Amino acid sequence: MMTSDEGAARIPSAIFPSEISLEESYNSSFECCVCLDLLYKPVVLACGHASCFWCVHKAMHGLRASHCAICRRPYIHFPSICELLHLLILKMEPTAYKRREIDVLEEERRLDIFSPHFDSLVSENASSGILRDVGGCSENLKDRGNIPSKRVGQEDVSRCYDRKHISTDDVLCAMCKQLLFQPAVLNCGHVFCASCLASVAGEIPKCLVCKSLHPGPFPNVCLDLDHLVEEQFPTEYAMRRVKLQQLYKENLQCGVDDPSVSENQNVGIVSKKLASSEYLEESHLLLDEDLFNAHVGVGCDSCGVYPIIGKRYKCKDCKEAIGFDLCEPCYNTSSKRPGRFNQQHRPDHQFELDDSHMLSRIFMQRSTSMEDSVQDLSDYDSMNDPADQNGAIIINSDGNINSFVDNNDGDIGGSN
Amino acid sequence: MSSKSLSFSGNSGCGGDGSGVRPWPSSTSVSASGKRIQKEMMEFNADPPSDCSAGPKGNLYHWISTIIGPPGSPYEGGIFFQDIIFPCDYPFKPPKVVFKTRIYHCNVGSDGNVSLDILSRSWSPALTITNVLLAVKSMFTSPDPYNSPVPNIARLYLTDKAKHDQIAAEFTRRFAR
Repeated sequence: MMTSDEGAARIPSAIFPSEISLEESYNSSFECCVCLDLLYKPVVLACGHASCFWCVHKAMHGLRASHCAICRRPYIHFPSICELLHLLILKMEPTAYKRREIDVLEEERRLDIFSPHFDSLVSENASSGILRDVGGCSENLKDRGNIPSKRVGQEDVSRCYDRKHISTDDVLCAMCKQLLFQPAVLNCGHVFCASCLASVAGEIPKCLVCKSLHPGPFPNVCLDLDHLVEEQFPTEYAMRRVKLQQLYKENLQCGVDDPSVSENQNVGIVSKKLASSEYLEESHLLLDEDLFNAHVGVGCDSCGVYPIIGKRYKCKDCKEAIGFDLCEPCYNTSSKRPGRFNQQHRPDHQFELDDSHMLSRIFMQRSTSMEDSVQDLSDYDSMNDPADQNGAIIINSDGNINSFVDNNDGDIGGSN
Repeated sequence: MSSKSLSFSGNSGCGGDGSGVRPWPSSTSVSASGKRIQKEMMEFNADPPSDCSAGPKGNLYHWISTIIGPPGSPYEGGIFFQDIIFPCDYPFKPPKVVFKTRIYHCNVGSDGNVSLDILSRSWSPALTITNVLLAVKSMFTSPDPYNSPVPNIARLYLTDKAKHDQIAAEFTRRFAR
């Protein structure tokens, strides 16, 4: 019998000859715990743990509450990318970040689903050319799909980018305009000092930059970012700490009657207040009646709730494969935020109610499709969600109908 | 956004995405999971846990591992082989660990399947194969008779631990050396 050590020694050279061994080194505090690679387009959960955009999205449950991979804290909102952290890593680890970008982009092209794109990246790296493609809409990308992206990628990989020194301007709190001290990241991806956030937060924290409400519990301090700031700017960070402590002492001396209670105290109060409501909300999510109204695998593109529970509004005009959906509260507030997957959604697009992914509907459909003939099934689908079905299935082509039917059969067989 | 990369198979039958593309297998590409497994292998080889070894067997998604029975347990001195099978959407789904060496243990089924919490419900994509092997190893010294696929062994463990240990040691002597 072959010993495991022999196997371990032989395999790596056989499968991926050079890819990993030549890999550049990067600061291990930026490693994503899911893909074990450099964080790419980092998303920070309310518990303060960061992962890549795709790692978080793929790990989310789609039917029930998801859990943080590190601390298992439950959450239901898929946060937006933390742009500050994204730019920080791009500056500090440009070579490795580039490689990640090329890898991820290739994968995204394959799936025809794209993660959000940041304009600031284009201007900074316009010379590399490839980035312009990222920004384009999906038609653009398809047009350029015949360009062998692999080749472009290799040229890019071989190029080394200089590490830029980050300055304190890169890590400022959007509220106090000072160096971030114990930063917390909101659902919208914007970063504030926890103390600043607590000083203005009512029951629900609201972002001062994009004005969106932060759903769910008060965010924890993102320790990775906190340590980074402390490590990079030790003197400035220490000054911030001293200042805040002074403020705290002054407020204590002024007495408890002072309405402007110290920022630190506020943190305690607010996080306690929100901690109590937090578990109520999460247990609420797991109610069975909610489960039947959950839209399996459909998330809201504004607040990020995943899955949507209750009414789902689907955009009729967005052509991307991933679609653009809103939950009822976001639809009513007519949010202007862009989609989570780089959809080209515009405010003048029309919405319609859609329940094709609702769990109770799926169960109903299952039983219908098992009993009825193939023809009925496709009629049923085209009748119920005309916009959802592309023309291929309804209009023509035996091939398409057949493949659709095959899928159904396979899945029904598989699930039983 | 509506995801196609769903573990729940129910979304596929309704054709809701309208693309006519089969949504399953998931969007985790083979290369993404392969890269992660490769990274784990390098980390494992750099710092393997004591008394454990593991590595791929011909295929990156199929590993074999060995654990040496810890001293002080009835499995002392035995060498236990496991097959570890990685799903194609690893690390979003847990790997499967199957004992190839016969073992008398209340958390290992007669077919060798390991019933561990972290390999089913409590799986987290942040866990690595090192964590899994450590959990399996700690199972040797502290079995969980309340979550057992083999109730007979669990009952004996709870009622007559001395006899249980004697049988386990006998199994170890006969099959694991």
